[in-house]
Amino acid sequence: MSGGAAGIPKPLPSSGPKSLREMPHPLATSSSEEMGPALTPSPDLLLPRSIADKDLSLPNGTPVDTSSPASSSSLLNRLQLDDDLDGETKDLFVTVDDPKKHVCTMETYITYRVTTKTTRAEFDLPEYSVRRRYQDFDWLRNKLEESQPTHLIPPLPEKFVVKGVVDRFSEEFVETRRKALDKFLKRITDHPVLSFNEHFNVFLTAKDLNAYKKQGMALLSKMGESVKYVTGGYKLRSRPLEFAAIGEYLDTFSLKLGTIDRIAQRIIKEQLEYLVELREYGPIYSTWGGLEVELSEPLEGVSACIGNCCTALEELSEDMTDDFLPVLREYILYSESMKNVLKKRDQVQAEYEAKLEAVALKKEDRPKVPTDVEKCQDRVECFNADLKADMERWQNNKRQDFRQLLMGMADKNIQYYEKCLTAWESIIPLLQDKPETK
Amino acid sequence: METRGVDQKPLRDAVPGRMDAPEVTLANSREAGAGSQHLTPDGPPCPEQAGLPGAPRPVPCGRARCACRSGLSACAQRGAEPLIAMESAEAEPSESRPEEDGAVPASDLPLPEQPAATMEDCLAKKMEITVSEAEKRTGRNAMNMQETYTAYLIETRAVESQNEGQCSPVDSLWRRYSEFELLRNYLLVTYPHIVVPPLPEKRADFVWHKLSADNMDPDFVERRRIGLENFLLRVASHPVLCQDKIFYSFLTQEGGWKEMVNETGFQLKADSRLKALNATFRVKNPDKRFTELKHYSDELQSVISHLLRVRARVADRLYGVYKVHGNYGRVFSEWSAIEKEMGDGLQSAGHHMDVYAASIDDILEEEEHYADQLKEYLFYAEALRAVCRKHELMQYDLEMAAQDLTSKKQQCEELATGTVRTFSLKGMTSKLFGQETPEQREAKIKVLEEQIQEGEEQLKSKNLEGRDFVKSAWADIERFKEQKNHDLKEALISYAVMQISMCKKGIQVWTNAKECFGKM
Repeated sequence: MSGGAAGIPKPLPSSGPKSLREMPHPLATSSSEEMGPALTPSPDLLLPRSIADKDLSLPNGTPVDTSSPASSSSLLNRLQLDDDLDGETKDLFVTVDDPKKHVCTMETYITYRVTTKTTRAEFDLPEYSVRRRYQDFDWLRNKLEESQPTHLIPPLPEKFVVKGVVDRFSEEFVETRRKALDKFLKRITDHPVLSFNEHFNVFLTAKDLNAYKKQGMALLSKMGESVKYVTGGYKLRSRPLEFAAIGEYLDTFSLKLGTIDRIAQRIIKEQLEYLVELREYGPIYSTWGGLEVELSEPLEGVSACIGNCCTALEELSEDMTDDFLPVLREYILYSESMKNVLKKRDQVQAEYEAKLEAVALKKEDRPKVPTDVEKCQDRVECFNADLKADMERWQNNKRQDFRQLLMGMADKNIQYYEKCLTAWESIIPLLQDKPETK
Repeated sequence: METRGVDQKPLRDAVPGRMDAPEVTLANSREAGAGSQHLTPDGPPCPEQAGLPGAPRPVPCGRARCACRSGLSACAQRGAEPLIAMESAEAEPSESRPEEDGAVPASDLPLPEQPAATMEDCLAKKMEITVSEAEKRTGRNAMNMQETYTAYLIETRAVESQNEGQCSPVDSLWRRYSEFELLRNYLLVTYPHIVVPPLPEKRADFVWHKLSADNMDPDFVERRRIGLENFLLRVASHPVLCQDKIFYSFLTQEGGWKEMVNETGFQLKADSRLKALNATFRVKNPDKRFTELKHYSDELQSVISHLLRVRARVADRLYGVYKVHGNYGRVFSEWSAIEKEMGDGLQSAGHHMDVYAASIDDILEEEEHYADQLKEYLFYAEALRAVCRKHELMQYDLEMAAQDLTSKKQQCEELATGTVRTFSLKGMTSKLFGQETPEQREAKIKVLEEQIQEGEEQLKSKNLEGRDFVKSAWADIERFKEQKNHDLKEALISYAVMQISMCKKGIQVWTNAKECFGKM
């Protein structure tokens, strides 16, 4: 088989509507040779804008309230990855919601409900609903990394939280985590290869995941997984240009994100300090009002107004902490894991090159060796292709994610100022009010 | 500019009764803002009507609607008359201790029961006053050491309300802060029943980190210049103070003014701090209103200082919030360099973040004016206290005089009847060393009787003075209250307007940024 997605003849799990050859390359563009019959609409055409115009409902049939920006952005959050190859024919929907606290003798933990709706043949039922805890997500991710080493696996929210500093059971923390876990599964769902992964399937469907976990390697039957990418100590001489470029990009990218994270944290800190002062400032006007007669109402009014601004500011800071920072951090984690994949790719290539050299030195022409080298070559090519494809798709998603994230940040600030504006405008008539002439 | 500038008041209703002078200057708008909004049909009470202790002697006041009972309605026309009017006043030093005027019969004293009316006829209306410039100077001080100070240029010009085309020439002279202080101290001593407008602070107080506490700092000097102008306009619009000759000379006479002030000998007439403190503690029956007023002014001082301190901290923090956003500008720019489609959107959004960060400077600059308005009333509270202290002093004086009189009467009685009711050293010594002769006793009684008569007259006049003081002081206090309520309301409105403007700017910037993000 020549290049493309099927460099190694692994039996792809999909027995869906299309055959392997017909299935479009993850990023089918006009430049790709493997153009399938069903062309992928370019991501730009399916911008959230058009989605927002439709009569929307969530996959589970609940109608969506798009009147408020908050809900439409969360809707967009759910649907924004729904823009690539499957387009109108998306056949797998996954949601994470309904966090619940479980108190057991040994420990206390949170589980989330994972709901699946699908028409795929790989699933026995069209709908599933299971409960999963963070551990399970972590397990899934590890399995995916193991079994799909050539692909970029989405990141999970941070595992460890410093006890005492962060309340693991607070509403905000749980909600933030839920959103991240939801994002995680959706990214997998939208991935043409990862979404068909066996472990993913089990994660979504199994009643008793722990039993499956214990089975461990028993279900390992896919060639893709049996191919061990354990390459020992091969050092790559030089990275091919395009991957070097990706590496550099990721380095700078995560650096900049780190800076943005620090700036955002600093802003939140300054805002909270500002808030502390405001909370002392407002009541002084009230105290003053107590001394006065004619000025009593105006001063009280100003005091109340400042109080309203305090509330608005508090909301802004909370939103930034809960919604903005976690996504930034997610992308930083993403970049880190992607860099690791790049390194793995390097190793695969290094192994290949080393073996190739060894063969050249040996000057033997036994058939066994070339096959070995050929396998390596296939591996390299497969890896490269998968990685490039994933990289492009990652770039697109990143662009949408950041557009949404930054617009959301701007929105929150706008809302904050609008609340303050309303407060101040409403007291102008009170201030101007002329008392009854004595 | 202080927020009394006409252009800064989109929301303020037209002040009823405010006369529109052909030149709408800060002077006029200040005067309308500073004074009461009420018009009284009888016109403003003239100082000479009030016969207030310490008021200048009757002067042709140059007011159109003067209701002078003294019949001095041969009032000079408006216009460039003040000079003449002032000059003819002459002779009588404008300051006088209450004791000297003690003999004014009560019936001649009018009772100004309503607050002072419009400032139309005050000096402020007749004369444009500005403190237009500030200049650093070096010179030698009293100890012949070199010093640096700032001098302020006071410009005055008579307002020609009738003749529109004509502009009178501008007079100007330079004064330094210490001369303003001297003027104010003079006014305080000379008009103890008046709430004398305060000067701007001597040293920068309530600063937040961006502003320096340095007296030579240009922003500080500028704000002080405005404060000094405000002070002059306040005095010029005060119905009593504007008449003062020393004040007038301060504005118009460059040389020899200091000597003139010192010649009035006002320093000698100032009450000592110790005396005032003593009176405060020992007075038994002060007028309840003054006691309340004293508490009010103490609390007002306390609350406004607190407010100003916290406001400075708030400003500091807000500055920090805005400025940190500037860092977004830089990092977005750097990030955009590695991006393809996202680059432009990021870059332009970054620019808006820079704009946002820069906008805080002007916002806080404007807020300083609000702080200055509050500061003025913080210092006004001190002036209120001063009037209360004066009352306590006078009351204490009265009580002491009454006590003295009573004791003398008692002594007299004792001598006359030969009984000793109270313990006295004299009584003891006379018991020990023998009685006095009848002649001696007679002599003593005679002396005492004279003293008693004097004392009774003095007591009567002190009583009158006390009552006069209370009346006239309370009139000015009522005037002040109206002014304060009006001014502070205006200040709050302008503060709200500032906040609204800041919110709108914020919305604008973030909307622009959002648009840029949308194009990523």
